[in-house]
Amino acid sequence: MQEFKLPDLGEGMQEAEIRRWLVVAGEAVKLDQPMVEVETDKAVVEIPAPIAGVIAHISVPVGAVAKLGEVLVTFTTTGNERVPATAPISPPISSVSTEAIRQDEPMLAHSSATNGATQRRRVLAAPAVRKYAFASGVDIEQVTPSHSNGRVTIEDVRAYSERVAKPTVASGETHSSAMHSVTQIEPREAVRQATPATGQEHGASEERKPLTGLRRRIAEHMEHSWRSIPHATSFDELDATELVALRTLLKPVAEQRGVRLTYMPLLLKLLLPALKEFPVFNASFDEEKREIVYKHAYHIGIATDSPEGLLVPVVRDADKLTMVQLAKQLEHLVAGAQKRSLTMQEVAGSTFTLNNVGSFGGSTGTPIINAPEVAILAVGRVQEKAIVLNGSVVIRAMMPLAMSFDHRVIDGAMAGRFLTRFKTLVEQPQQLLLDML
Amino acid sequence: MVVGDVTTAVDVLILGAGPAGYVAAIRATQLGRHVTLVESGPVGGTCLNRGCIPLKALLSSTERYQQARATDLASMGIHAESVTFDWTTMQVWKQGVVERLASGVRRLIKGNHIELVVGTGWFIDAHEVRVEGEYGTHRFKFTDCIIATGAESIPYEGKKAVTPEHILQLPTLPQRISIVGDDYIALELATLFARLGVKITLYSPNEHLLANVEPAALRLVQAGLRKLSIETVALKHTERTIEDEYCIYSRKAIPNTNGLHLAELGMKLDANGGIAVNTMQQTSIPHVYAIGDCTGGQALASVAIKQGKVAAEVLAGQRVQFAPLVTPLVVHTTPELATVGMTSAEATAAGYAPVSGRFPLAANGRALTLGADNGVALLVASKEDGVVLGATLVGPRAGDLIGQLALAIEMGATLTDLSEMLYAHPSLSETLQESAESALGKAIHIMG
Repeated sequence: MQEFKLPDLGEGMQEAEIRRWLVVAGEAVKLDQPMVEVETDKAVVEIPAPIAGVIAHISVPVGAVAKLGEVLVTFTTTGNERVPATAPISPPISSVSTEAIRQDEPMLAHSSATNGATQRRRVLAAPAVRKYAFASGVDIEQVTPSHSNGRVTIEDVRAYSERVAKPTVASGETHSSAMHSVTQIEPREAVRQATPATGQEHGASEERKPLTGLRRRIAEHMEHSWRSIPHATSFDELDATELVALRTLLKPVAEQRGVRLTYMPLLLKLLLPALKEFPVFNASFDEEKREIVYKHAYHIGIATDSPEGLLVPVVRDADKLTMVQLAKQLEHLVAGAQKRSLTMQEVAGSTFTLNNVGSFGGSTGTPIINAPEVAILAVGRVQEKAIVLNGSVVIRAMMPLAMSFDHRVIDGAMAGRFLTRFKTLVEQPQQLLLDML
Repeated sequence: MVVGDVTTAVDVLILGAGPAGYVAAIRATQLGRHVTLVESGPVGGTCLNRGCIPLKALLSSTERYQQARATDLASMGIHAESVTFDWTTMQVWKQGVVERLASGVRRLIKGNHIELVVGTGWFIDAHEVRVEGEYGTHRFKFTDCIIATGAESIPYEGKKAVTPEHILQLPTLPQRISIVGDDYIALELATLFARLGVKITLYSPNEHLLANVEPAALRLVQAGLRKLSIETVALKHTERTIEDEYCIYSRKAIPNTNGLHLAELGMKLDANGGIAVNTMQQTSIPHVYAIGDCTGGQALASVAIKQGKVAAEVLAGQRVQFAPLVTPLVVHTTPELATVGMTSAEATAAGYAPVSGRFPLAANGRALTLGADNGVALLVASKEDGVVLGATLVGPRAGDLIGQLALAIEMGATLTDLSEMLYAHPSLSETLQESAESALGKAIHIMG
C-alpha cells in the first residue's frame, strides 16, 4: 500500500479543493496519468499519478478540501515502487477497524462490530473529540488533523463540519460506519439546529448555496485583504487622448505581427517607470515581522474576469518584455483564465496589480488590494468628455483612475505623487522613448 | 397501590436495576427526566449481589489468607503461627461489603427521586409495560423505556451442577470442586477455592485458557494456577467423567429477555435472545432502548454502565454513542492479569506491523519491595508511528494499572509519549514506561 498526499503546488498553498477525480478505486493507473483535478486559491491543477499501481482507496471526495500533506489516494503497487520524494514520505495506511481492537466475541454483533469490518484507518482522536464528532454528525475518519502529530482535535472536527455542506450531514453520506447500522435514528434536535435553514423552511422566496471553489477562495482572500489592510483610495482622472492616438497608430502594425493591441500592454509599459521610481508600490507587507518587502522583480497581476469569478493572472518580469511580447502574454493569460488552464506560475507571485475596471463596464471603482501587495491601480473606461483646457472647453478622451493603497505603508501624499507621475506618463506616452534601451 | 388494571403514565421506565439500569436511571434524572425503575430483586443486579463484587471480596480475603501462609513472609521476618480461616465469617464479611454497596445504590436512587417499583415487567405493546409485583399487577404507559434485564447463567442438568453465583453462597466448603470453563470467572473461582485448600480440577473447553491473551502472560498465570495445585484438563483430551461433589459451569450467560414478550412487539433479537441495538442503544422499536447484558454482548459491568449513560443521554435528546475503542479485562488470579487492546498477533492480523515492548517485574524496584516480582508488562504498538495498540500486564494491581494504558490507547498515545512523561519512583507504573522504552530499544533496567 502506498499513500499519495496532496503535494505542495507552490506559492504558499495550504489546501486545495477536489474538483474532479479522473480515476476510480480499483482502477489501474500508469505513471503520470492524470489522476485528480484540484483547485487551489490560484488555479485548477491536474495532479498526475506519482507511480504506476492500482487505486485502492480515494480518501477525499469531490468538493472536499484537502490540506497540504493530506492523503488523497492509496495505491496498491505492483512492484516495490515508493511514492517519489516529491510527495511527502508517509507510513503505509494502518488499515484496521477501530472496533477490531479486542472484541473477543462480537460485542454488538448487530451493530458497529460487523459493519466495521471493512478496512478503515484508525483515527487518532481523544474520546472527547470522537464524542464531539458523533454529536456533530461528522465521520471523524474524514477529518484531517491540523497538527503534525496526527491527532484530530475538536477544532479540526469543528472546521470540517463547517466546511462540509451541512445538508449532507443528515443524508447519511458522512455518517460513520457505526451510523450505517443505526436503522431508525431520529435526527436529533442538535443536528437539526446545526443545519442552516434551507429553502424549504422559507418557501421558495430564497435559496441557499454554500460558497465553493473559486467563489469561496475569492471570498476568503477578499475578506482577509479587507480585514487586515487599512485601505485608502486615491482618485484622479487623466487625459488619455495621446494614449488613444498612440494605440490607433500601433494597432494595425501589431495586427500585422499577429497581436491584438489593447490599452493594457500600453498601460503596463507606462506603469513600469512609475513603479521603478516609487519602489514602495512594488512591494509587499510582512504582517508578522512588520516589515516592508521591496520587490526587485516586476510581476504585474492583471485582474481578469473568468466564468467562475475573478482571477489575477500574472505577467512575470513585465519590465523585460517588449510591447508586443506584453500583448501576446496578456492575450495568453486572458484566454487561460477563461479556460481555467493557467499554471500556478501564471497566477501567483504578483508584486503589483493593475485592474482595468473599464473593461468590465463601470467607469471606475474602489479596488481591494491583492494582499500581501500594498497597492492596486484601477483604470476606468476611456470616455470623451468636455473639459476646460487653457481657458477653453475642448473634447478629450478621459480615463478615471482609482488607486487603493495600504495606509500602513503608504501615505496619501506618496500615492498622489505616484498617480501624478503615472498620469504624466500616460498623457505623454512618448516619454517612454527617453528610457528605452 | 390499587390492585387491578390501573394504568399509570410515566416518563422513563427502566426494567432492571443492575449496573446498567440504575446508572441509566440516575443519568436520565440528572438530565431532567422522571424515572420509574422496575426491579424484582435487590438493586445492583448480578454484579453487585451475586457476581463481581462478592467474587472480588472473597478473592481478596482468600488472597490475604494465602499471603499470610506464604513462606516468603517468614523471609521478611514475619512469623504467623497457625493461620486459619473461617468460611462462614468470610461469607459474612463478603455480605457486608455487598450490603454496604447496595445501600449506597439505594440511597442514590432515593436521593435522585427515582421511583423504585418492586416487580417483574413485560411489554403489553410498544408503549406499555405490565409489572407484576407484590401488590398485584400494574400497567405503565411510558414515553421512553430502557430494557436492562441482564443475563443469567443457566445451570447444567445434574444434581451437583451449579452456577458461579451459587458456589459463592455455599454454606460449607466442599472438598473438591470441578470447574468447567476457560474464562476469567472460571479462573478466578479456581483461584479462590484453591487458596482455601479445595482440590480444584479446571476443565477447559478449549485448547487454551483465556482466549486472546499474549502467550508469555498466559504462561505466568498458568504457573500461578499450578502453584495452587489446580489441575487443568483440556476437555477434548479427557474421557474422564466429572464426578466431584460440585461442578461449576462458567459459560456465556443467556440474556434475560424471555419473559418480556419482545417477539410479540416485533423487536429484533439475536439467536440467543439478545436484543439488537445500534451504538446509540436504540432497539428496532422507537423509544425503546436496551443496555447491558440483555443485549447479548460482552457481559461486563463496565460495558453495561457506559451503555446505561449513553441510553439515558440519547433519550434526553443528546446525540451520543457507545464507542470505546478498547475494553480493559482483568483476571484476579495470582499473579493478576489485565489486558487492553490488541495482542501482538491480533495487531498483525489487523494489518499492523507491530512492535512489542516487554519489561519484567523482577527488574522493577517497587515490585521487589512489595515482594511480588512475578509478572511482566507487555506493550504492543504500531511500528510505523509508535501508536500504542494494546497492553498485557501481569502482576500486583495489574487491574488498576491497566487503566493508564486504556487511557493511552483511547488518546492515541505513542510509545514516545509514555517514554517522555514522569512516573513516580519506585512504582509499578514504571514498568509501563520501561516496557515502552524496551519497544523503542532503550529500556534502562534490562539488557537489550
